[in-house]
Amino acid sequence: MQESLRLNVNGKATGVEVAPGSRLLDVLRENLGLVGSKEACGRGECGACTVLIDGRPVASCLVMAETVSGAVTTIEGLADEFADLRRAFADNGAFQCGFCTSGQLVRAAALIREEWPDNPDEREAFVRHRMSGNICRCTGYTGIVDAILLTAQARRSSAADRP
Amino acid sequence: MKYLGARTRVIDWEARTNGSFQYTADVKLDGLLEGVILRSPYSHAKILRVDTSRARTMPGVHAVITAADFPPGARYFHEGVPDRPPLADGVVRFIGQEVAAVAAETRLQAQAALRAIVVEYQQLPGPLTTAAALGRGVSRLHDRQSGVDNVSRSVLRDWGSAETGRRNSTVSVSGDFFFARQTHACMETNIAVAQWSETDQRLEFWTSTQAPYYVASEVANVMGLKQDQVICHEVGVGGGFGSKSKICEHEAIAGLLARLARRPVCVKLSREEEFETTKTRHAFSMSMQLHADSAGQLRVIAGKIDVDNGAYNHSGVSVMGAGIKGLGMLYRPEGLEVSGRLVDTALLPGGQFRGYGTVQTSFAVECLMDDLAEKLGVDPIDLRIRNANQSGEMTLVGAELGSARLVECLTAARDAIGWTREREKDNRRPGRGVGVSASVHVSGSFTMPGANRSDAAIDVFADSRVRVRFGGSDAGTGQKTILALIAAEELGVDLEAVDVQMMESDKTPFDMGAWSSRGTHYGGHAVRKAAVATAERLKGLAASQLGDGDLRLEDGMVKSAARGIPIGTIAQLSNDLKDGILSTETSFVETSVVQADRATGKGNVSPSYNFAAHAAVVDVDRRTGRISVLDYVAVHDIGFALNRITIEGQAIGGAVMGLGAALSEEIIFEQGKVVNPAYLHYALPRAADVPRIRPILIEGGDPRGPYGAKAIGECSINPPPSVISNAVYDAIGVRIRDLPITPDKIINALARREGRSRSHHIWRRPSRWWIAIVRAAYSRGLLKILHARNLRFASHVEPAPLEKVETPATLANVLSAMGADAKLMGGGTDLQLQRRLGLVEPKRLISLAKVAEFQGVKTLADGVIEVGAAVTLTALATAIRHRIPMIAQAIDKIASSQIREMATVAGNLIQAKRCWFFRNGFGCFKRLGGLAPCYAIEGDHRFYHAAIDGHRCQATTPSDLATALSAVGADVVIAGPDGERVVSMDAFYTGPGEAVLTEHEVVRSIRIRAGATARLGAFVKLRLWEGDFAIASVAITANISADGVLHDPRIVIGGLAPTPWRAQQTEGSLDGKPIEIGTFRAALDRELDRAAHPLPRNGWKLDAAAGLSEQALEAVLRAHEAAQAAPVRESA
Repeated sequence: MQESLRLNVNGKATGVEVAPGSRLLDVLRENLGLVGSKEACGRGECGACTVLIDGRPVASCLVMAETVSGAVTTIEGLADEFADLRRAFADNGAFQCGFCTSGQLVRAAALIREEWPDNPDEREAFVRHRMSGNICRCTGYTGIVDAILLTAQARRSSAADRP
Repeated sequence: MKYLGARTRVIDWEARTNGSFQYTADVKLDGLLEGVILRSPYSHAKILRVDTSRARTMPGVHAVITAADFPPGARYFHEGVPDRPPLADGVVRFIGQEVAAVAAETRLQAQAALRAIVVEYQQLPGPLTTAAALGRGVSRLHDRQSGVDNVSRSVLRDWGSAETGRRNSTVSVSGDFFFARQTHACMETNIAVAQWSETDQRLEFWTSTQAPYYVASEVANVMGLKQDQVICHEVGVGGGFGSKSKICEHEAIAGLLARLARRPVCVKLSREEEFETTKTRHAFSMSMQLHADSAGQLRVIAGKIDVDNGAYNHSGVSVMGAGIKGLGMLYRPEGLEVSGRLVDTALLPGGQFRGYGTVQTSFAVECLMDDLAEKLGVDPIDLRIRNANQSGEMTLVGAELGSARLVECLTAARDAIGWTREREKDNRRPGRGVGVSASVHVSGSFTMPGANRSDAAIDVFADSRVRVRFGGSDAGTGQKTILALIAAEELGVDLEAVDVQMMESDKTPFDMGAWSSRGTHYGGHAVRKAAVATAERLKGLAASQLGDGDLRLEDGMVKSAARGIPIGTIAQLSNDLKDGILSTETSFVETSVVQADRATGKGNVSPSYNFAAHAAVVDVDRRTGRISVLDYVAVHDIGFALNRITIEGQAIGGAVMGLGAALSEEIIFEQGKVVNPAYLHYALPRAADVPRIRPILIEGGDPRGPYGAKAIGECSINPPPSVISNAVYDAIGVRIRDLPITPDKIINALARREGRSRSHHIWRRPSRWWIAIVRAAYSRGLLKILHARNLRFASHVEPAPLEKVETPATLANVLSAMGADAKLMGGGTDLQLQRRLGLVEPKRLISLAKVAEFQGVKTLADGVIEVGAAVTLTALATAIRHRIPMIAQAIDKIASSQIREMATVAGNLIQAKRCWFFRNGFGCFKRLGGLAPCYAIEGDHRFYHAAIDGHRCQATTPSDLATALSAVGADVVIAGPDGERVVSMDAFYTGPGEAVLTEHEVVRSIRIRAGATARLGAFVKLRLWEGDFAIASVAITANISADGVLHDPRIVIGGLAPTPWRAQQTEGSLDGKPIEIGTFRAALDRELDRAAHPLPRNGWKLDAAAGLSEQALEAVLRAHEAAQAAPVRESA
């Protein structure tokens, strides 16, 4: 039994035929070929499948496609806009095996758009708290946290420089 | 050098960060089938009969295999006696062992076929602990050669002269240590795609492995093929840490399924299977001693080690050997005398894991080094420096140290962590401590023929691009980039002009893979040799064009003093081109190493040895047992950093993985079954749980390393457990020798030292008599009886398909849609999990996300704040943060930001209990009812079970929000067919995670009572990792008058009783009085003592909860003082 759904993914409206209760993660990977989102636990506990719905990070392995009405953004849809963040990840050793990286980047992209603490001393703890839904078993997180702090800082200063 | 020694992004960074990097699950082949594995539900049993006839006829099924489909007697190669068949062959020896497998068109079809396989077992007794395995009259798991039942191998290492050493000693220290089973928990679960070609008679693999060579050789071995009939293809590898450095069990299964199905097959383990069935680190029980003279010269390292082998040998023999060997490489005692036994248990087998024996033994010895320093009255770092091995020395085990900069590591760690300042008496702060530890590791051990060799090939194309071909695989270590850097350096080409092809069995030459920290040395030398040979060939070819003068390779050209010609053009001059490519393949053989002598275990097995010293500052919260690591430095003697980004990455990543072992990670068993097979239950570090790790690299080269480089990958995981134990000792004066160092161990040790205990006077409380009797009976055999009656372990299956997901827009539509076949869904974060675990099997889901009546956070006319049932946790936190900050604080500590975005208020309140027995397939009372047992009574209940009011079930209500809402005073509005009713939050629960709702009712909203915004409050929580459920949580609110008097306080403790527990007597005793923490604590302790009936190992939670309560009240007091200082406060 299949049902037809309309989804807005990475800025494009798309029709898909799915079984009832299909997970958004499977629809993205199997129906739409967007395999950047990874399944590492299937239980909403690791963050590897993180995508944005209307800009908010969610675990796509727990989302049922029928319940999605907002705009879905995956790593494939964020890669260009966040090329600076991706470079910072590479420069700071923010990934090794890379399996969690799509989820880390998607979560971090949403984080960079969030409101940050005014006090610079609180920012690392802020980033670590917000990123704690994304497990990385390789890097020990230092590089991930640095990449996010540096990217956010660079974006703030370039925004401040703009006339 | 242009590239080597710099900080270079890994060459595949673009693909690894834009989602296009291909892992095995992304490989799409036509006709790909799904393979699933039938596993043993018993720890030890004879298989009397396996009947697959029905399964073979099921829809979509293409292959069903059992042991009979492998060649007779097929066993994996192991050091020691090969004892493990690819599918159980007559006997199963642990829960989860592979018995049969099915390949079908879909996973659901494959699982349906699995259920149709009939296996008749005859249960056998089996030892579930090493102590049981070694006891008298136990059942034997295997017939072993050692002469002792359940001892697979025993070893005695006696190096130098322990006897002389003992005579020269004046001081000794000793201790019993335990290193728990840690699991790799790679982010990518084990996965393989296999495809059989009938024409070529070959089996192709896309598999997540560190060692394609071993996959090919082992698959060939157990399938009766020749090694060259099995090939691997290059694919992304989502982490390894040793687990994938030999074959993994699903690989041969995928291979045979593919061969019989004549279709490609993907076998992918679920996360639960990954935790429950893949090999772990071997647990070590160690009884160790150090002897030294009064001058601080270490004389003897001695001890006895029992290694928990699990059910099969795998690498147990060599892990035990390596662990002892590591003790003979770091310091210079006169003698070492250590014996080891590899003990068979009917549990998940141990396997290879980063640190490989050394991480376990060095934990014991590095703790003892601190004990020794204390006894001698010397500084722990000075003691280590005094005993450190030096460059050029031959160590006790025969290791020839080309370079050894342990002293430099220790000195750098001392400076970086601020050792002297931290230890200064005047600077001491309560609960704060500093610790250090040292370690050594090999750079590729010569463990078997071929392990001292690595081949590589370099191709030069006409367009001057260069390709390195290398047989190993890069599971995230950065080896691929290092190989490219070496080629670029030697050939004088841009890094962008270099490609690296790995793990393509047909094309890449011989290499045994990335294990034993061998990637840097063997891969580095292999590619360097091939690149140098290529450069010589290019210069030779160029001589005809450029003359015989001084030629060099630079800027992609071969250059003479006068001019340059691109290397691609030069390459085309060769007569040996194949497809227009100049290929040069060379073989690097390390001649400085020997295989360890079998009798003595001695020998120079590694070309170089890398050293490390780590140091940390910790804060130990005496009131809750929580350890916070405030600062951490990891200093590594690595000879030369080929690529700083990846080398530092190995230091940091290893340190954090080691911190996991130190602080929280442990695979826990009950009745032989893994209790915690999920990231939720297996406490590994998240970003907020660890500090910034500061790596420091000590260089200076090594005579044998490529460009002077030594390994780092494993050494970094060794020090953290002893660093933390040492720092905790420095902080609070208690020595924890039992890993992981969880809060219970701190609280219990402090209570023991301070002579504190609680008395609950059960004999005076008739209501608890029956419970006490039943609990006592459990340990006297009742559990065994009840367990035997219900011995059926469920394991994770793909949830049953749904017929419909409904998204009604009104409450009326919800009520009419409800039915026995339907479940209500808020964010689905718990419901989806419950379906996956087989706790619920609805046909329809009714999503509440779009129901108008369930939305919004509104303030009603009477000041009541009404929160819609479907409001997400994030939305509630945002709406209420400035009005009732305590509720926002509580929400911030729930799960992860992703879950908070999805989970709803009502869903959070009515989520099912999180008891790890209930959730993880134990046939418990709450799952099966009747006479089924509660596994928490005897099982590991230290963290998540009730210490107050436990009855038939020991679980607690998991919702932190419930605790917080109880503390402000809230009501739940429940809608049903007959209208609405309102229930106080305090009366909402009838049991652990069980609410008063009938099956026809739904939570519509929460009403926070008027006046809540005027109360001051705080929420605090003790948990093992950021986002974990509460071990205990405390929410306190009160009105405080300007004179500091408390009015109408509410004290609610979560995680301590089946439902959120109000300390009503304490509330009464505080009401109308000024806040006084000491009085409060005394009153609360009295009430807890009167109310509690803890299980044998969770009484510490009462101390922790009382400590948390103090902290919550202090926070309330701080809020009051802040409010007094800034009297203009926004109200509602």
